[in-house]
Amino acid sequence: MSKIIEVKEKVEAGKAKLVPGLVQEALNEGCSAPDILQAMVEAMDVVGNKFSSGEIFVPEMLVSARAMSKGVEVLKPILASSGSVSNGLCIMGTVAGDLHDIGKNLVTIMIESAGFDVIDLGVDVPITKFIETIKEHPEVKVLALSALLTTTMPSLRETVNGVRESGLTGFKILVGGAPITQAFADEIGADGYAPDAGSAAVKAKELIA
Amino acid sequence: MLTPKQNLLEVLNWGNPEYVPLTFEAMKIVGFLSNGPIESPTDKDGLDPFGVLWHVTSEGCIPDSSKFILEDITEWKEYIKFPDTDAIDLKPFAEAELKDFDSEQQMLTYYHPNGLFERLSAFMGFEECLISLVSEPEACMEFFEALADYKIACMKKIHKAYKPDIYVYLDDLATARGTFMSPQTYRDVIKPAHKRIVDACKELGMIFFQHTCGKCEDLLEDYVDIGIGVWSSAQIMNDLTGIQERFNGRMVIEGGWDTVGKCSQLGSSADEIRAETRRAINEYGPRKGFILQPTLLNERGNSLFVGDDRLAGLFEEWAMNCRIY
Repeated sequence: MSKIIEVKEKVEAGKAKLVPGLVQEALNEGCSAPDILQAMVEAMDVVGNKFSSGEIFVPEMLVSARAMSKGVEVLKPILASSGSVSNGLCIMGTVAGDLHDIGKNLVTIMIESAGFDVIDLGVDVPITKFIETIKEHPEVKVLALSALLTTTMPSLRETVNGVRESGLTGFKILVGGAPITQAFADEIGADGYAPDAGSAAVKAKELIA
Repeated sequence: MLTPKQNLLEVLNWGNPEYVPLTFEAMKIVGFLSNGPIESPTDKDGLDPFGVLWHVTSEGCIPDSSKFILEDITEWKEYIKFPDTDAIDLKPFAEAELKDFDSEQQMLTYYHPNGLFERLSAFMGFEECLISLVSEPEACMEFFEALADYKIACMKKIHKAYKPDIYVYLDDLATARGTFMSPQTYRDVIKPAHKRIVDACKELGMIFFQHTCGKCEDLLEDYVDIGIGVWSSAQIMNDLTGIQERFNGRMVIEGGWDTVGKCSQLGSSADEIRAETRRAINEYGPRKGFILQPTLLNERGNSLFVGDDRLAGLFEEWAMNCRIY
């Protein structure tokens, strides 16, 4: 158990070189892979909250996420053989007409760190691509959409409308991006809005609870 | 009655302006869309002189996020080849851009994009760049010093060809909610090379404008500390009136426009834009040290470059309300 605590601490501290060895030691100590993964998810919850409150900045959040990712690599073969412990699938993308990937990438990192599997469709994603991907992955739990520009806010609205009109259900739509507000998210019929990457991970978990 | 140039100079020197200046009335902007040989292409997708692939959109240029040229900052000397600045000739670009410039009426303002942080992001991607700042600060600093040498060499070429009054250095270090990196990381890793760029600009006799979008108010004291007297794009997610009080007589702000509000969204009405023009003048004008810089995007791009029917109302409203001194 002590190694699990150490794993958690080192993920929070962003020690990517140390975490894989500690994860292995925790496994050797008899800790289960899902428990170790859960500890790392909890560490990233702390990191996300610190980011949202302004206590830490994007680089510190990224190094923690990278540390967790290194730890997950050690766990992956074991988790694969023991069945998934994922929170579910999130499909992510920046809407058509918008090439900005920064915010979308940060949200992807934090949502992965919150225990979701993520399909990142990239930037400038047409509505049809979102719909096709949802059809290919009907198990999807969250569709996360990003728009950075005031000029691509209409594209975000059209994407939400397009997905709704497709008749596909069983997932929640989460939106965000610099000009996006809770009011705009409500207006276009999104299920959730997050102002930053840390909050996006929290909101994604809330939406599927 | 002062010319727009004289009035702007009064603002920049904390003197006695007659009215709140408007960026596009008092400044002739060059460089940004020149498609010159020192930065990213501006007319169509293509490589910059470092080999970075850029996509040109109506809102501006953006590096291709799938084709970065540097993975590990400690290996920058192996992968980053600085262009030969001796071979750069900006004269044809200057001649093309200065055809209708009236130096009696306006200040010539050169926009030089891709500051230290943005340029490293273009080389290695945003996430790797930010991680490098905190995990390999020494290598980043070494790189930034070399990049500052390049920027300064380019600045000298710009000065020789254009003779600008104002040099605008663009480096977006913040999101809408705060700085990308902690202010301490900026201080430790970026600020020393940044200061050299500011110093070089002043040695050439140009006025240095620092363009930083987003909520960057936590960096402003550092900006002033390295000799920056004008902060551009001053967006309203910062406490602009508080900043004006804090930096009275030390730092002019250019901006004041609500860049994400209703007035800046597609389809905003002429009345909404007029109202925002009045608000910005009334709120930030009285303390002086303020240049109004509206940012209005439309489907074709930045309205001030591509045109917009709503601009006539904006200019009219500014003209009716700007004489508050």
